[in-house]
Amino acid sequence: MAVGLVFLATLPFHANPYLLFVGNLAMLYIVLTVGLNLLIGYTGMLAFQNAALFGVGAYGCAVLRVTLGLPYWLSLPAGGLIAMIVGVLVALPALRLTGLYLALATVAFAQFTLWVFLHWYSVTGGPAGIQMHPVDFGVLASTAEYGLYYLTMAIMLAVVALTWNLVRSRIGRAFVAIRESEVAAEALAIDLTRYKTIAYAISALYAGVAGGLFAAMLGIVVPESYDLFQVIAQFAMVVVGGIGSVWGAVIGAVGLIWVQEALRAFKEFQEIAFGGMILLTVLFLRGGAMSLIKRHIKGWDEPLRRIPRKR
Amino acid sequence: MLPFLLTSGITTGALYAMVAIGLVLVYRSTGHINFSHGELFMLGGFFAYTFHVTVGLNYVVAMLLAVIGSFFVGVASDRIVYRPLIKAPGLSMVLATVGFSFLMKGIGRFFWGGKGEYLSIKPIVDPAPLWIAGIPILPQQLIVLAGALACMIMFTIFFRSTLAGKMMQATAENPRAAYLVGIKVEQVYTYTWGAGAAVAGAAAVLMAPLTLLSPDVGFTLLLKAFAATILGGLGSMVGAVVGGFIVGITEALAGGYIATSLQEVSSFIIIMVVLVFRPSGLFGVYGIRRA
Repeated sequence: MAVGLVFLATLPFHANPYLLFVGNLAMLYIVLTVGLNLLIGYTGMLAFQNAALFGVGAYGCAVLRVTLGLPYWLSLPAGGLIAMIVGVLVALPALRLTGLYLALATVAFAQFTLWVFLHWYSVTGGPAGIQMHPVDFGVLASTAEYGLYYLTMAIMLAVVALTWNLVRSRIGRAFVAIRESEVAAEALAIDLTRYKTIAYAISALYAGVAGGLFAAMLGIVVPESYDLFQVIAQFAMVVVGGIGSVWGAVIGAVGLIWVQEALRAFKEFQEIAFGGMILLTVLFLRGGAMSLIKRHIKGWDEPLRRIPRKR
Repeated sequence: MLPFLLTSGITTGALYAMVAIGLVLVYRSTGHINFSHGELFMLGGFFAYTFHVTVGLNYVVAMLLAVIGSFFVGVASDRIVYRPLIKAPGLSMVLATVGFSFLMKGIGRFFWGGKGEYLSIKPIVDPAPLWIAGIPILPQQLIVLAGALACMIMFTIFFRSTLAGKMMQATAENPRAAYLVGIKVEQVYTYTWGAGAAVAGAAAVLMAPLTLLSPDVGFTLLLKAFAATILGGLGSMVGAVVGGFIVGITEALAGGYIATSLQEVSSFIIIMVVLVFRPSGLFGVYGIRRA
């Protein structure tokens, strides 16, 4: 753990720009995947809208920064908030739906959002997208790349720490109760509407902030970044890493970003790899990479699987 | 303009209905939505392209081969995805079919696409429009309509009058009871997946000469089929057909009268509106089923 952190913190000093980019991307996907996992893995809701909200955050940040001229430190959280608001607005009708109906509704929403990105020319710039201004970190970092890297790292660490604590709190236990049985959860006086909305809001906020970071990192916001492939990539990370596990999400994000970069030039092989990995994991290793870790490393346990001891 | 839009709407609607029929067929007997159904359509179209354009077989022969090919892809998805997960939670099944769809899409792109180009099959009949009562109709549209209707009639006869069709219905109604009366439920599932895929393949073969084929066509068609099934009521066969036509006509009218770009988006709007206001659809047979 400590070694990993030191490695991450010093990566800019011994890595080439491409590796730095990949490291940055991996950390950003950790934020996304941890958020998606709260929704799918912990609360058990099969929702496809995260990639779209990732896009909403990116476009929100870009529009505020480029069109309205706000500074990045303001437009990044604002983009996250916009994504969160949209996420909650989606949640309101989606709360009535479960299972397959929820999946279908959110698939339609994701495609609808993509269509809006493509066709709302006056705001999103259509297929050409929005060119971002480079972010100036002033005295904090020598170049924008370094600054963004450390910003992403700080946000990623905050998100992982926050989520790790969240899933061990009353809220996290409520999520798992909802996943296991909505009826039983209600019988335990868990307010379904409230906790489901919380799950939607948190994962939307994470996705939106990640979107703002992604926009700054690429320097351009275009609709293709937020299409179906994005949905599948995030699903694959959650599933392969280990559904319903914070550390699984981290492992999945890092591992699959590596796969994605290795196959960057071949879209068909990316699709085969991601689709195949989802399928194989669901078929043969339902707990994902985390179940292997749990089996082979003694004493490793995730909260909510462990029975709390009385003190 | 209206008659022209209506004919093209009805033609595409017939294709959506065919894809939706396969989706509903599998849903009714297994209780799962096959998210890889659109990719079966895509592969069916590419099979037809290979047999007809690359190998140079006669269109009808190529069509039959493509339908048979799709049938076997459907059987394969039963063996690879459905059967191992038959007792797994619904979430696993959705994730598995989503993964499988991407696997197939990648395979499709590897063999037939990947260069950003679209493949097209030349119309098999004279492309000049016929004027019937002052309405221009492409001969291929008539073929599509005839083919779609023939498929639907064959399906109805199959379910009403053949033993295999009745076995499928019995399994959909109550698998345990079907098992008790001696129906080989697992075999029925296999044939159901195959039949659903074959209809999708047939739709693809009919559509191919009208438009272009690309590896991404599957997901687009899947969403239209979703819209049709949701509109008709998830699980209703009649609903899927009616829904398919409504989606096709709505799309054509919205594209023609309001804005061309609305054509792509109208099916998503239909899905969202129906799910928010009337999740059981027009012919909801099961009401709001909390699967």
